[in-house]
Amino acid sequence: MNFSLFLTELWNARMNLLAGLGDTVLISVASVLLGTFLGVFVGLAMTYGNKPTRFGVRLYIDFLRGTPVFVLILACFYILSVVGLDLSAFQAGVLALTMFCSSHVGEIVRGALKAIPAGQTEAAKSIGLTFGQTFAYVLLPQALRQILPTWVNTATEIVKASTLLSIIGVVELLLATQQVISRTYLSLEFYLFVGFVYFILNFLIEQAGRAVERRISIP
Amino acid sequence: MTFLKTIAVAALMTATAGSAIAQEASKLQQVLDRGYLILGTGSTNPPWHFIDSDNKLKGFDVDMGRLVAKALFGDPDKIEYVQQSGDARIPNLVTDKVDLACQFMTVTAERAQQIEFTIPYYREGVGLLQMEGGEYADYEALKAAGSDVTVAVLQNVYAEEMVHAALPEAEVDQYDSVDLMYQALNSGRADAAATDQSALRWFMVKNPGRYHDAGYGWNPQSYSCGVKPGDQRWLNFVNTVLHEGMTGVEFPFYADSFKTWFGTELSVPQIGFPVEYK
Repeated sequence: MNFSLFLTELWNARMNLLAGLGDTVLISVASVLLGTFLGVFVGLAMTYGNKPTRFGVRLYIDFLRGTPVFVLILACFYILSVVGLDLSAFQAGVLALTMFCSSHVGEIVRGALKAIPAGQTEAAKSIGLTFGQTFAYVLLPQALRQILPTWVNTATEIVKASTLLSIIGVVELLLATQQVISRTYLSLEFYLFVGFVYFILNFLIEQAGRAVERRISIP
Repeated sequence: MTFLKTIAVAALMTATAGSAIAQEASKLQQVLDRGYLILGTGSTNPPWHFIDSDNKLKGFDVDMGRLVAKALFGDPDKIEYVQQSGDARIPNLVTDKVDLACQFMTVTAERAQQIEFTIPYYREGVGLLQMEGGEYADYEALKAAGSDVTVAVLQNVYAEEMVHAALPEAEVDQYDSVDLMYQALNSGRADAAATDQSALRWFMVKNPGRYHDAGYGWNPQSYSCGVKPGDQRWLNFVNTVLHEGMTGVEFPFYADSFKTWFGTELSVPQIGFPVEYK
């Protein structure tokens, strides 16, 4: 390993790598936030929806979870443009990851809600709470404790899946790194480096998740 | 039933009308109206398309796109690059994500059924890279030495077969990456490295005086740009631009690019009788 050459090249390429990192963070944050938002509704529909709704949402979840993210990304980019919805590579990528994330979050939310005894919902109803109130004050606070650890897992999955967007031409962190490698031939050094950066990203997510967990845990 | 039929017929008519309009308005006019060219190319393969240390996309493929942009707008920089992977070349053309793809695309009959190729702008082949002042002078010496010669090559299912097509008795050592392959040559583990002529030339440009080409090329393949099929006007335009780059008014642009990436000075096309028919 040629350490000083690596540092020189790393310094040379810093702007491109930072831009790549920015894209990776933006893609991940957007997909996880949108995916979580959508996923909560998916979970609610799975738990409280009528039979046809549950069937439709079940199809949605199973289809998305049973398809490689790679295929989802290609489908969002190419198939949608054939239909006439012309998304940019970035938008198509975020859409694919959002849908993937929502199917996972949906399952997590459903599981968490199912774990709460039905008696609580009945009790809430009997003291006259609306469904919205029941959800916000009774169910969600308890479900959140169940959801968080697995949600952190999903979020880190999304960060890692964002590397697949390079196939449709989004210059995220991994592609930006590969561009540097193709010029410098320092493959080992740069792959190690970028692996470390992804680790830091996911470590931060995990720590953030832990912090929230501590706040909402029963003292 | 009649209602459904009406809808179907209406849909069909709209579709046909739509395609008729699309045929009238060539991609050429679209691109001119837009004011810039959308070029699909890669970003991880020097000297074809790569991000240089000044953070700009460069290379021979990129220059071919710049030649087309220059012909369209008088300005080679009026390009929006789509940095696509090799797998995305054909899908991005067919779904109109890019106007033109120049990404070291080997012309094959299978691909020609899906897209339309322009005239070729480079002929790729395999060559042998040797150390300057090494034990064997050139290809003839390597061939005469028979099984005493070791050739380094990038790992590939057909690697052995490929080397043996030129040097039937040579030992073949396969390596995982390009840098390891060159390392083998530098350290004397291998007497020659077999790789694409373009990669070999580029390596010689980057390391002047250290290496030389053994002087034999085989496995020819044509590199062409690709366009979406069915737009003859646009295809003709790009063909004309590439053709005049290689033989006409834009020859200095093409030759300059060729010199930069492959280190070879091209001779000026013969004046008088057109070179195409000689």
